[in-house]
Parts: sequence; structure tokens; C-alpha cells
Amino acid sequence: MIPIVIDTDPGVDDAAAILAALASPELDVRALTAVAGNVPLEAVVANAAKVLAVAGRPDVPLYAGCAGPLVRDQVYGKHRALGTFDDALLPVEPAPVRPEHAVEAIVDMARRAEAAGERITICALGPLTNIALALVFDPHVARGIDRILVMGGALAALGNREPWADFNMLADPHAASTVFSSGVPIVLMPLEMTVQALVTDRHLDRLEQGGTIGRHVVRLFRASDRNDPARYGRPGGPVHDATTIAWLLWPELFTGAPAAIGIECTGRTRGYVFADFHGVSDLPVNAHVLRSVDEERFLTRLVERLSRAGPSPPAAGAGP
Amino acid sequence: MTPRSVIIDCDPGIDDAIALLMAFGSPEISVNGITVVSGNVPLECSVRNALQICELAGRRDVGVHAGCFRPLVRDPIRGQFSGRTGLGNLRLPEPGMKAAGQHSVPFIIESAMRARAKGEPITICALGPLTNLGTALRMRPELVDGIDRLIMMGGAYREPGNRTPAAEFNILVDPHAAHIVFSSGLPITAVGLDASHQALSTPDRVAAIAAAGGPVCSVVAELLRFWDRSDVDRFAGPGGPLHDPLVIAQLLHPELFETRRARVFVEHDSPLTLGQTVTDWFGQSGMEANVDVVTKVEGDVFYSVLAERLARLGAGTAA
Repeated sequence: MIPIVIDTDPGVDDAAAILAALASPELDVRALTAVAGNVPLEAVVANAAKVLAVAGRPDVPLYAGCAGPLVRDQVYGKHRALGTFDDALLPVEPAPVRPEHAVEAIVDMARRAEAAGERITICALGPLTNIALALVFDPHVARGIDRILVMGGALAALGNREPWADFNMLADPHAASTVFSSGVPIVLMPLEMTVQALVTDRHLDRLEQGGTIGRHVVRLFRASDRNDPARYGRPGGPVHDATTIAWLLWPELFTGAPAAIGIECTGRTRGYVFADFHGVSDLPVNAHVLRSVDEERFLTRLVERLSRAGPSPPAAGAGP
Repeated sequence: MTPRSVIIDCDPGIDDAIALLMAFGSPEISVNGITVVSGNVPLECSVRNALQICELAGRRDVGVHAGCFRPLVRDPIRGQFSGRTGLGNLRLPEPGMKAAGQHSVPFIIESAMRARAKGEPITICALGPLTNLGTALRMRPELVDGIDRLIMMGGAYREPGNRTPAAEFNILVDPHAAHIVFSSGLPITAVGLDASHQALSTPDRVAAIAAAGGPVCSVVAELLRFWDRSDVDRFAGPGGPLHDPLVIAQLLHPELFETRRARVFVEHDSPLTLGQTVTDWFGQSGMEANVDVVTKVEGDVFYSVLAERLARLGAGTAA
């Protein structure tokens, strides 16, 4: 089992990613750490607590993290109007929130992993504020992290919040800069890859036939219209964050290439992530940048994973 | 009189070391903890120096907490005037005491949150880059209510910078952390280069410290001889600007300092003026003042107070 920590700002696609991870016996989800992003911190924490409850996993530690970016002014996600997953949307008793701060929790988990001779994988689904602060605490933290999967960047697609930037990178470019230069290997899921897989009614209908968790996910998706045919050229909405979990489970569905990546922290194009695939710069390779995903297999397997999941954790050995 | 509860955040560093000793020699101050940050020298060196200074003052009871090992966003830069170890040519015994297990940032957060709950806010004296405090404030913004004042060494307000024409070293090391701190709503008293350039460690002043008696005084005199910039052109005489002890002096004797309130902004975007403390003396920004900037120091009185405090650390306490 791969030990993972999910740093998240749920968010509908975050919820799909978390539920897919919790439904996967290949993954050992050690904690959720919440960060302000799509919606303000109180709302992301409340949403994450509900997602854990939907999964029937209130035992997974949930920690509240930073309420805003390191330096820049706060921006919120496009779907802020959705706000808290209210009781009509997710009628469940929320899981408990631990008192420790998410940054300290990440520091402790990474240090414990290093001491135990293992490394955790961090799936970063929101702005990178929590992770950056944890990496600045103590050099041992980086040594306890195997890699950081970052949903962010718009290298070859127009960004979703600015022409040059996706929301996560725009929301805290300084934190992204710290993470990219930390020495921990990055796997980058940029927008041009995540928008290759669009969830349509066909997938949602199939999901609705599945278990209770699938039906919760369908309600979340239908509550926020993620369709944008003018932009994507066809119906369907992306499920950005779930690509991180999918890459851990099924790396063969993705293509990618090593690159030196960095981010612009200042000026008009702040939040722009660049990737040097060809050694044009003298910057060291610090990332594996994903370029394409097999849409059909990814979405089929994601739907299957979410449909199979029930309110109790899968029995041992039930995995593929 | 109840001593004032203080956390000293520092990166020793010669002038940090002297400031710590001055605080230890001052019964008005209760040092609740020392939080160390990467700055003048790498973190391990700063921690070791802080431990050695505690032992020199006979203060093994004080917790020394290792803090952030690098700035929030920038790569580290180091000081130029404290030597390779951070304590000049001084060679102190290997420290017997160990650093506390708790990291600086949770220590600051817990201390301030406890102080907030009790309604007895603490004072923070910051002598280095503001990474620890900036991290703590970003994690728990509400801890400002547990801190009555930050007295900090950093910035160049009407003076030019010391590491670049625009920037003073502590702010330049971590301008992003400084921005967080200056935007946090904390009451701040800033001892910048404007102050320390009025408090040069001239040979007469160093000789007076050496003559004040006690082993700590002779150690400090040795540190100060290393500290001499021999930059007569810049400072209009021998000696170096003794930054950090001014923070302790400001706490003990605010009447020796003139301050002026202003809104201070930290430049963190421009490569040319990175780390500049842009000061709105005349209310042009329309924003409320956030800093009491020290504009004038009684240099002679400061040095006599320093010598007197160091002399109190008698032979019995030194290692």
C-alpha cells in the first residue's frame, strides 16, 4: 500500500479524488489536510469532514490548515457559490476535525515516515500553502516525502482563472515556488492533461447505478454545472483532482515527460507555471509532467472504483 | 516588579549573542524561550551558538528551540560580519545542554495562544529574519492577540540598506515573511539601520565594556573587536553598528529612543529593491500606521547600560 496524505480544498473534484482514494485498497490514506482554496477554510474543512463521513471513514485524521496564501491576496475558486456541501447535498454527520494544525501534521507524518524508513506521497489538490510551510520547518520533512503530486499549471492550455494560470497555482504562487524548489520530486497534473477527461451524463448515469457513495458524487457533480462546451469542444466537465489518485493507481493510463518546472511569482503573469522539457535553461529537472491521459479507461475505472465503494471500508484482499 | 515575559527569536550571530547576554543580565526580562532561525549562519550553527551563549550566562534553564531552516520562498543568504561559526574568533566549549525537542513555530504558537487565553500577552524580540514568526502568523493569525508587541531588528527606513542599496539584511533574507508580519496587525517597534548607525561600537565603548569587569564582559569585548567593520568611510569612524542589543535596550529603556509611527510596506516583488522597507511617513498610502520606527538613539547611554547589564553576569555564572 502506498502511504498518502491528501492536501485538499474540497471542492467537487477534490471530493471525487478523496472518495476514489478511500475506495482503493492500494492506497493507505494517512490523513486529509485542508487548505483554503476553492472556498474559505471553514467551508473546506466542513466539506472534507462530510466527504470522510460519506466514505464511512471518520477514522481518517482530518486537520485544518492555512486560511490564506503566504503572501498574495486571497482568491477563491469559480465554484465558490457552492460553498459548503450542505445537508441537502450531503446529508451526513461530519467526521471529527483534529485540533493540530495541518502544517504540523504534515511535518510529523513526514518525520515519522523518515524515521520508519518509508516515504509518504502527498497528493496536493489545492493551493500549496500548507505543504510549503511544512517544507520550510525542517529539512527532515523533505526526506520523508517520496513525491508530491500537484494538480496545477496550464502549460499548453489556456488557464482557467487567468489565461496563463490555473486556480491552484494562481492562488499561492509563492508556496508553489517553495514546493518546486524543495528537492522533493514533483508529478505535475497540468490543465491541458486534466481537461482531456470529461465526465458526462453517461458516466454519471452509470455511477448512479452504483453504491451510495457513487450517488453522493453524482449529486455533487449535478449541483455544479462543470460543462463548458465552448472551452472543451464537447459536453462534459473535468475532474482535475482525481487524476492524481488515478496516476498512483494506474500510471499506465498516462504519458508524461521529465522537465524543469518553475513558477512566476510576480508581475502580470504571476501564477504562470513553465516547464522546460528540452534543457533550454540550466535549471535542474525537478518534475515529471503529465501530458496525456487515456480518457475512456480513466473515467471507466474511476466510475467503477466509486461505484464499488460502500460506507464501510473494503474488506482485506478485496482489491484488484 | 513582575518581569516582562519575552521570547527572543534570533540567528546568533555576534550581535544576537550580545543581545541574549544583555537580556540575561536584565532582571526586568524573563526569557521564556529562545527560538532560532536560519539567517547569519546555517540553522545548526545558530542553534549551537545560542546553546553556548546560554551556558556562558549560566542559563541552562532556558529552552532553545530550533526553527525554520530556510526562508519561506527565497534561497538562503548569509551574514558577512559574524565569521564562519557565527561567533567571530570566539571559541566556546561544546555545549552540554541540548536544544528543546519542540520546533520554534509550535513553541511560538503555543506560548502566544496560552498568553491570549490568560489575557497576559507576551513580547517577542526578533533579532533575525522573520521566518519563524511569519510561519506562525500564517498558520494561526489569531495569535496576534497573545503578543503585546514585537520589537524587532530589521529594515532601513531613512538610511540606505546594508546588504543592497535598498535592503537591510534581516528583511532581505526573508521579505515574504516580513511582509506577513508587517501585514498581521501586530504592534511593531522597529529598530533598523537608522538606529544602529547611531550606536557604533567605537574602541572607547568596547574598552569600557572590557573594563566593566567579569568574564562575560571580556567575551563581549572580544566579539566586538571582531565586529569592527573598519569602514571609516561609511560610518565616519571605527566600530560597527551594534544592531540586536538595541532591541533589548528599547525594551528596558524606551526613553533612550525616539520613534515615529508610519505605515511600512515590505518590497517582495522587485529584484532591484527586494527587501526594502518602504515607509509612508506622510500618510500618502491612506493606510493606518503599523510600525513605531526608531529614529534616534542615545548611543552613549545605551553603551553604558549594555556594559552594566553584562557586568551583572558575574564570574559565578560564566562557564
